[in-house]
Amino acid sequence: MSDLGPTPATEVRYAARGRYDRATVHAILDAGLIAHVGFVVDGDPFVIPMIYARVGDDLLLHGSPATRMFRTMRRRPRICATVTLVDGLVLARSAFHHSANYRSAVVVGEPQDVDDLDERMAALESITDRMAPGRVPSLRAMTEKEARGTRVVRLPITEASAKIREGGPIDEEEDYDLPIWAGVLPLTTGVGQAVPDDRNLSDVAVPEHVRAWEGAVVGGAGVLGR
Amino acid sequence: VSEGGGGGDLGDLGDLGPTPATQVRLAEMGRYDRDTVYGILDEGWVAHVGLVHEGRPLVIPMVYARLGDDLLLHGAPATRLFRDLRTGPEVCVTVTLVDGLVLARSAFNHTVNYRSVVMFGPAAPLEGEDERRVALDAITDRLVPGRSPSLRPMSEKELKGTRVIRVPLVEASAKISAGWPEDEDEDYELPIWAGVLPMRTVTGPAKADRRNHEGVPVPEHVRAMETD
Repeated sequence: MSDLGPTPATEVRYAARGRYDRATVHAILDAGLIAHVGFVVDGDPFVIPMIYARVGDDLLLHGSPATRMFRTMRRRPRICATVTLVDGLVLARSAFHHSANYRSAVVVGEPQDVDDLDERMAALESITDRMAPGRVPSLRAMTEKEARGTRVVRLPITEASAKIREGGPIDEEEDYDLPIWAGVLPLTTGVGQAVPDDRNLSDVAVPEHVRAWEGAVVGGAGVLGR
Repeated sequence: VSEGGGGGDLGDLGDLGPTPATQVRLAEMGRYDRDTVYGILDEGWVAHVGLVHEGRPLVIPMVYARLGDDLLLHGAPATRLFRDLRTGPEVCVTVTLVDGLVLARSAFNHTVNYRSVVMFGPAAPLEGEDERRVALDAITDRLVPGRSPSLRPMSEKELKGTRVIRVPLVEASAKISAGWPEDEDEDYELPIWAGVLPMRTVTGPAKADRRNHEGVPVPEHVRAMETD
């Protein structure tokens, strides 16, 4: 069950909240849209937001070869990718016990370049497909030039942990006697109505894979605007 | 988020940068003025805090508040992060808000509309108890404005048991991606639907704790948080 850890790098201090099994880590990665990727440049930390996809036991990241992370990776290959979904604000009876309900996953390791062009195209399509599942087949096919101009790396999900906080406030026993309202403010992500591009051809309808997203409310926010 | 293309003007220069660390590579997306940076920080819920632990990068999600020209982080003293932060290391704090999905005519030109802030600075623990009390109230009231006066006051023990870290806002940049698909010219002739799917965070409705006293209504400061 706990085949991804814990290791010294991923151990969750509050043991009751830590999970190291593939299913839990994968589920959080699959629910998020943005990973915050940390790397070290000249001894200093950098954290940048990136879109990603999980395919099997790999986390796939992509970007222009000119990005700082890719330039750095040659010398300092280790990265830490963190995905966080905030499910709610936990409002307790004292400031001290205020908290957030969240699910986060941390994956650490050394990414490897995806050099094979076909593999790279498949990886890029899987990243696009996460934005609107089913969209890729409707698109103009990727060209070799596009694939050559994009760097794709694969971070094996072998050293990872998840951390989950859920439920209501946990107050000091004597504070339950106080007439203070406590509870949870849930946070979700709301998807709006699709706005067509001005330059769409006149007879092109909103496709089903876009319709399916419209008005959706998905659990968890935090990487998302309010 | 994904970066491609290049060029453009220098963007808005402000007093937070650019520095070699914060310069946004696609110059037209970069902002370095406090209004823009603070606006994004004040809208987010969670910051991703990066630090170097034994030579390795570590990225931890944390709630935070901006108070004046400082970013405040808090947590339990025993966490790895706070043990490290006591020594005053350089940290990188990143906050990202996603505003929508940009669906282009090719997979390559798909992107995300987002606003992000990246800031760098030395982490400095707040030592004074009064300072910490003010900071902790600021963090609570930043999450739910007006909540701290309604609560049981913080005890000495709680104050002693909480670490607060200040990171001064002196080196920061914002990056804003807002717009429409930018497709290859020839792709505009294709009968492919393109556009934007807007996204936002929805708050509420509030769920009362089972152990609330009967007759205690949802307070106005909680009601005000619920998205219409």
